[in-house]
Amino acid sequence: MTLTLPLLAASDFNPVSEFTDFINDPYVNLPLGLDINKAVVYIWMSGALAILITLLVVRRGLKVRPDRAQTAAEAVYDVAYNQIAKAGLPSEGMRIWFPYVASAFMFIWMMNLIGFIPLPFGSEKVSIAGLELPKLQIYAATANLSVTLSLTLVTILASHIEGVRYNGLVKYFKSWMPSGMPAFGVKTAPLIILIALIEVISQGVRIVSLSFRLFFNLLAGHLVIAVFLAMGALIGGVAFYFIQPIGLAMGVALFTLEATLIAALQAFIFASLSAIYIGGAIHPDH
Amino acid sequence: MAATDPTIQAAKALELGLATGFGAIGPGIGVGFIFGKTIEAVGRQPELRGQLQGLMWLGFALTEAIVFYALGMAFVAYSIVK
Repeated sequence: MTLTLPLLAASDFNPVSEFTDFINDPYVNLPLGLDINKAVVYIWMSGALAILITLLVVRRGLKVRPDRAQTAAEAVYDVAYNQIAKAGLPSEGMRIWFPYVASAFMFIWMMNLIGFIPLPFGSEKVSIAGLELPKLQIYAATANLSVTLSLTLVTILASHIEGVRYNGLVKYFKSWMPSGMPAFGVKTAPLIILIALIEVISQGVRIVSLSFRLFFNLLAGHLVIAVFLAMGALIGGVAFYFIQPIGLAMGVALFTLEATLIAALQAFIFASLSAIYIGGAIHPDH
Repeated sequence: MAATDPTIQAAKALELGLATGFGAIGPGIGVGFIFGKTIEAVGRQPELRGQLQGLMWLGFALTEAIVFYALGMAFVAYSIVK
């Protein structure tokens, strides 16, 4: 979203284009679609931040009587360990997959949080006192379907691979069917085939739901904030002076809600569901 | 018909609002149910508050995501009509 001091004129306000235009306008053009564009820069920043914060706290030395930073880091670790990993993963999967879900939680949280800091990475320019400066924008890497879909595919592939590794091929795919099914016969065949079809579809829908949930939460959050902040300009005319204060207040309120609650909650949900999917594949009977 | 046709413009605006609005009805009821039932459950068994809250947020996010399917499809329909 473009937040400039002379508030958005209604004519050049197109919220959706902010989330699509940068793809055609990368900083560095590379083959195979490996362009370095705005989303890639945001991912790098979030990854660096997630690593740096944790490293700084740990490298400074952990104390028996923790200071503020250590207490905060321990609280995050506690949430990742007890609420996310332990709730979904069985004990034998903890060693490999707790680091994955915990880092997914931290990484997505950082991506969401950076998305609420106005940063000058957009392609749009504004001239202030003769200088061409990039506009400050709020943009989240997770408001991009490619990012969330790749994270989802890692989780889904991991769950199927772990399911086959722990249970064997036949037992794992059999475990998709609900327990207590009648034996396969002439009479029961249509029913069993129908249920099998539904189960296969539901496995596929997981990919869609896991990625779309994160993507649209962030996209819609940013869109709603932008629309409220620019509401007066969108309506225009004399109404600007009546509408804009309301829109501004609503925008700030929504911004606070999104940045504090939704950013952490969506990361938590993604990591929790990853743990549940992987844990469910390792131990299908639970 | 061209994109500048006011009828098309009006239909697109209506489509976006109606699809998102109707899509929000069900999840709205569902989210209310989840929070209400959690409050009820915590009232009955306050010692389970931690576990119940974890489940509540999970259910909240799963229910809330349904709005975004509607919103996503609304955007798709919005951008398909040129």
